[in-house]
Amino acid sequence: MALTMDEQPTRKASSAPALRRDKNRGRNRLYFIAPAAIFLAAFSFYPLLQLVRMSVSKVTSITLNSSWAFTGLENLRKGLEGEMPDALGRTAIFVVVVTVLGLVGGLAAAIALRGTGKWSTVLLALMVFVWALPPVVNGSVWKFLLGDAGLFNTVITGLGMDTIPFLYDQSWALMSVAFVNSWAVIPFNALVFRAAILTIPTEVFEAAQLDGARPWQEIKHIMMPAARPTLLVLTVLTVVYAFRSFDFIYVMTYGGPGTATNTLPFLGYIQAFVRYDFGLGAATSVVTVLLVLVMAFIYARSIRREESES
Amino acid sequence: MNKKAGPVNIAVRLLLTLMYGVPLLWIVLTSFKTSADVFSTESAWFFRPTTAAYVNAFDGDLMLAMKQSVIIATSTTALVLLVAIPAAYGLARLGGWFTTIALGLLIVLQMVPQTASVIPMFQVFSNWGMLDQTLAVILADTALLIPFAVLLLRPFFRGVPIALEEAASIDGASIPRAFLSIVLPIARNGVATTGTLVFLLSWGEFLYSVNFFLTPGKYPLSALLAQQVSAFGIDWPGLMALAVITSVPILIVFMSTYKQLRDGLTVGAVK
Repeated sequence: MALTMDEQPTRKASSAPALRRDKNRGRNRLYFIAPAAIFLAAFSFYPLLQLVRMSVSKVTSITLNSSWAFTGLENLRKGLEGEMPDALGRTAIFVVVVTVLGLVGGLAAAIALRGTGKWSTVLLALMVFVWALPPVVNGSVWKFLLGDAGLFNTVITGLGMDTIPFLYDQSWALMSVAFVNSWAVIPFNALVFRAAILTIPTEVFEAAQLDGARPWQEIKHIMMPAARPTLLVLTVLTVVYAFRSFDFIYVMTYGGPGTATNTLPFLGYIQAFVRYDFGLGAATSVVTVLLVLVMAFIYARSIRREESES
Repeated sequence: MNKKAGPVNIAVRLLLTLMYGVPLLWIVLTSFKTSADVFSTESAWFFRPTTAAYVNAFDGDLMLAMKQSVIIATSTTALVLLVAIPAAYGLARLGGWFTTIALGLLIVLQMVPQTASVIPMFQVFSNWGMLDQTLAVILADTALLIPFAVLLLRPFFRGVPIALEEAASIDGASIPRAFLSIVLPIARNGVATTGTLVFLLSWGEFLYSVNFFLTPGKYPLSALLAQQVSAFGIDWPGLMALAVITSVPILIVFMSTYKQLRDGLTVGAVK
């Protein structure tokens, strides 16, 4: 996922000559950027252009490499009258669940693991390791754990209740995948929140204890304010992570049962590579890219806001 | 800081330990079971009455997949670093509207869902006759990870004082030379962190592999795992053995870089 929190080049206090010198300094380093620019032009921007072209054409697997008939907004219309609105709704639910669980869980973990005790240290390392594992590995084990005869249902039936169809039920499946997605993002969020909490001087806590502050008061009045500046950027990052997520869906449900876990990005993939309607899939994907543009705009603004606050 | 942990704190830690420990434990345990032991009601094991998942897993296909994983992940990491390091350095020094636009574009590229980019890339590679080639996956992975790498590296290069370079240029060093002999060594932590993450991500990437390779014979481990887990009638011990085998290199990389990773990941956030 995206994780760079970067200072924007909004330096106010540089005088005019210094600025000019900066510019001259920079210009002779333009060629450092050239390889990346050329590579991305060929393998990122050109494909994106093709995506837009495909979205306004009739493209199937047969006509993929021949000339495409221009159909204008026909694909988009088909999508909007078809599955796109439902998928958009599911995406919204998915993103909200992952973001809320991911942020609350991340903050709780950061507060619980802020110490330097053995348990905290080992547990944090364990969580970061799980985060570093390929999503396809994590997805596989969760598919196993949430299965009919998996660990969760073994416990549930052991308690005398009926098995829960975590991954096979229309209403359960989306929640299950969203839960696993937030599980996967909590370690990273915990790391970022923890870094913010660790910047608090120990004197602050000592003073609070002298004043007789209770632990939850320390959390509310010291740790949460310290985590607040990173909250905005981290929220956007988690939203983006949830929005682009496809690996857990691919592994655990493949969009099913039926269409229950087809989020908008995954729907585009299914339309192109399972139903071989590349034009329709491209149109759905163009809509996701447009949503990405909105999120990128918000992200850029939130970085700037964090900069001016700190 | 409160020295003694309250009951809530302990409860949270206990929950987290279960949440992250149990799945990990389960992968390993299951991979050592026989299919019959996993759960007798599962129909999957009828297809493959295995004795030991690992013995079964270790065949020619697995070796091939492992080789593919190594080739793809190392080539991608090398290529990404080769392209992203100079770009990140250039963007760290340039400033102005050019940098703002470039950073904006990188952020957008990084946010584009892979499910969206795989559609036109499939068409482009098909058009160029590059489908079913490992190079196609390496190039696609590289394009996917360059924005991430540049954005992560740039703060590290910004942290290097420009005065050091000016001193070098007074001594007669050219800009590339000053970059290689002064800036790069100072920013090596950032390069190491970025390289590690790019390796981890390209090791786990499977969507490009699954679609660009036309035959499973060329799949890397991640794609093999993705293919087997979405198949009907899963052989769980075999799958978990494959998951363990896929994860071992990650464990090695993780153990040797954990501290760097833990601190490097949040470098932008603490600054």
